[in-house]
Amino acid sequence: MFDGVKALAKGLGTTFKALSEPRDTIEYPEKRREYSPRFRGKHMLAKDADGHELCVGCGLCEAVCPAHAIRVVAAEAPEGSNVSWTNRYAVDYEVDLIRCIFCGMCEEACPTNAVRLTPFNELAASDRLDMIADKEELLHPPVRK
Amino acid sequence: MIRLTIDEQEVSVPEGTMIVDAAAKVGIDVPIYCYHQALGPLGACRMCLVEVEKMPKLVTGCTTAVSEGMVVHTKGPRVEKGRQGVLEFLLINHPLDCPVCDKGGECYLQDYAFEYGPSKGRFQEPKIQKVKDGPINEFVLIDQERCVLCQRCVRFMSEYVGEGQLLLEGRGVETVVTTVDHEPAQSHFTGNVIDLCPVGALLSAPYNHKGRPWNIDRQTTICPQCPVGCPSKMTTRESHIIRMEGRPVPNRDWGWLCDRGRFGYDFGYHPLRILDSTVQGQSVSSAQAMRDTAQWMKETIRDHGFGSIGFVMGGHFTSEEAYWIKNFAQDVAHTSELATIRNVPGYLPITLNGTFEDLEKTDMTVFVGVDPYEAVPVVHLKLRDRLRHFPHLKVVGVGPRKLTVDTLPGTDYIVPSEDEAAFFAQALLLAAGEDPTAEMLAQKVKDYPLPIDSTTLKSLGESLLKAEHLTLLWDGENPQMEQIFKALAQLREAPTAVLPTFGPVNWRGYEKAGIPVRYEELRRLLTKAKNGDIRMLVLWGSDLMREFPDRVLAQEALAAVDYVVSAQIRPPLDMPYVDALLPVAAWGEVEGSYVNMEARVAIAAAGVQPPGQCRPTKSYMAGWARLFQQAFKVEEEWDLFADTEGDLIPRHGNGGDEMMPQAVERPQLPEDPGQWKVIRGDLVWENGIPSEILEPRFTPFVGRIHPLEAEALNIGPEGGYVDIETAAGTVSLDVRADSSIPERTLWVPRSSHYDWNVLLNEVRQIKRREEVRSL
Repeated sequence: MFDGVKALAKGLGTTFKALSEPRDTIEYPEKRREYSPRFRGKHMLAKDADGHELCVGCGLCEAVCPAHAIRVVAAEAPEGSNVSWTNRYAVDYEVDLIRCIFCGMCEEACPTNAVRLTPFNELAASDRLDMIADKEELLHPPVRK
Repeated sequence: MIRLTIDEQEVSVPEGTMIVDAAAKVGIDVPIYCYHQALGPLGACRMCLVEVEKMPKLVTGCTTAVSEGMVVHTKGPRVEKGRQGVLEFLLINHPLDCPVCDKGGECYLQDYAFEYGPSKGRFQEPKIQKVKDGPINEFVLIDQERCVLCQRCVRFMSEYVGEGQLLLEGRGVETVVTTVDHEPAQSHFTGNVIDLCPVGALLSAPYNHKGRPWNIDRQTTICPQCPVGCPSKMTTRESHIIRMEGRPVPNRDWGWLCDRGRFGYDFGYHPLRILDSTVQGQSVSSAQAMRDTAQWMKETIRDHGFGSIGFVMGGHFTSEEAYWIKNFAQDVAHTSELATIRNVPGYLPITLNGTFEDLEKTDMTVFVGVDPYEAVPVVHLKLRDRLRHFPHLKVVGVGPRKLTVDTLPGTDYIVPSEDEAAFFAQALLLAAGEDPTAEMLAQKVKDYPLPIDSTTLKSLGESLLKAEHLTLLWDGENPQMEQIFKALAQLREAPTAVLPTFGPVNWRGYEKAGIPVRYEELRRLLTKAKNGDIRMLVLWGSDLMREFPDRVLAQEALAAVDYVVSAQIRPPLDMPYVDALLPVAAWGEVEGSYVNMEARVAIAAAGVQPPGQCRPTKSYMAGWARLFQQAFKVEEEWDLFADTEGDLIPRHGNGGDEMMPQAVERPQLPEDPGQWKVIRGDLVWENGIPSEILEPRFTPFVGRIHPLEAEALNIGPEGGYVDIETAAGTVSLDVRADSSIPERTLWVPRSSHYDWNVLLNEVRQIKRREEVRSL
């Protein structure tokens, strides 16, 4: 019986000791961790100062992607439209976030610095199709709280 | 043979070979922009600098012919420095816009700059701005900033095609490639400059920004638009055909395509494409259409016995599909009533069928009724190639209009199509004299009046007999010409080759599959249908009202049968008589073999899925056979390739009597010589399957008349509308003046997509149509 009490005291001792120790967990979502500034999360497509899309649909990200997660369909910009800064733009730009391994090679390959990986990492969805980010979604990147 | 050393490797090549070709022979790659074997040396780009021992400076490998004992170094510090310098200069004014350039990824400027170029340019000054994405014509774009001035395109158009529609304008760094007078280039061969351009300066307008080399698939195929069947590559992306490119075949073909073939690939996505099954006017499911049509077949066989169903092949189907149809007809539908749609009555025995190799050796070529520039443009280009190597090439045109063009000049003899055989028979009789074959050939037409005097005829006959390698191109309009070809093969000892230019494109493949292709077979089948011996017609790609010249018989046959089943890719003119219209997969959607006009077998790969309810022929045959509760083996091996002949269909015919010529029949003299004549010709632009990309190039003025008559009708050079009074009523038509058309003659394209075409019989009068047609 004495052994039992001893073990109980030892266990509770560990518990009470841990209460006063610094914590490894945080109270997500009320509190959020600080990440490295180089953290690679969800993609975004950037625009220039005049609001033109930087992406010209060259497809280099598609070519370099090791997970085949990107699909780009380019087209000639209609006469008079200023979607992109040049006469070529991406009609479709899709990133399959389930396939993506967040290696950042697309960002590195992009000649116009249009595709960037944001620190946003909250990528849960209840449907697989919702995990395919289309161009509209990528042009309006979510802000991490 | 000359022996030399390139990079320590001994190589022996024929005299006159350039260093780059000799290097290629031992697998050493020398970078090139301006040099192309078909166009010859120029030395404009300086990219192929090599070091030759005992020569003080670096020399260009593409303009330096080999000499005995030459020692060449294609690598080493001197060569590298030279190439770096050249590339640095080429890139001085280059915009470096690879991400937006369609050539990116398959560009020689990228590749060589990466391999041989300097890592950094030292040029700080602003780059010269030039025209970007300017048009050469509707199909070709030019980006002058990216041009390296290799002049391949300019030389191709002016020297090779002979239509100098591109030129260099300006001096020094301001030099640009542009069109003459900045007008769109109108040649049939402009698309080839896209393949020729080593950089991203000349680009395809329909392909612009549609794909990149890493997200496309390329399939080896052939072009299905005309009987030439040019080897080509089909680019597909996401199950869409987005581009056609030429596919050079070593030692045989340079890979040129005409614009019809290069840009006319989009028929699969044409708004007219049939995508739904229609039975008795109702749109039904594919399975239901198959059940209904199978039920009709069963009924027809039950009520009228075996042999009461007729099958007519047409369209652009593969030889394998023709084979399955024949098997289905024989084994399941129990009928031997098979035919192929024909728009001209001629037939050529396989023994006489020439190849394009004959064109490479020919010293005399005769166009019988066909203008190759319009009907089979790449054959025209092959003849241009021959003319470049053999300036004494004799070109003769025999037909109802002027058939030679300025770029391939020759002598023309204008005789009506029905007199062509009599013309040749008389010429051969005059030249061969006492020869029994010539006498037998001409016995019925000896005194037939021809508009050409006997001295001219005799000299033509003599040159026909004396030619060292005679080639003839034939449109099949006059079936009697078959006897002339047989006689020529007998009278001449030197090679005689005939190339048939008539369609359907794969008729030789259908023949090989066991479907009769002669015109008489089709006529016999339709007569049986008219008389009630055949009660059901299955038209596989054939459109009787559009293609069969005897429209009355076609109409009567279609009206007489109980059921007409038509499998098409576009709505047929037979539509009022069609009970079931089935959508069917086309070229590019099924794999199979095609046999071209030289009887050469080529495989066309499948690259895309058939759209909508379109099913391949195989599915229809297997599905019908299941409904007949019979096994149908589509997997069965059937190989068109003969082991001994490579990809050529063996040339031995039935032998013996088949090759014996018979006397040429005497043509009927026209009843009223003053009447307007209607002549028809193949025009690859108007023939075959519709294309939206090509539409801007189609002229609305399809008919052609003599310039003087056009003037009399007050029709300007751009064309005008006329009313044509025929036996069947008045047809209005858009015509223009053409100096190749003789007087009182109206030229129209043969079996084009115009439904008035077959109405043009017995033209009585042509009048100017005054009011403007309302749209």
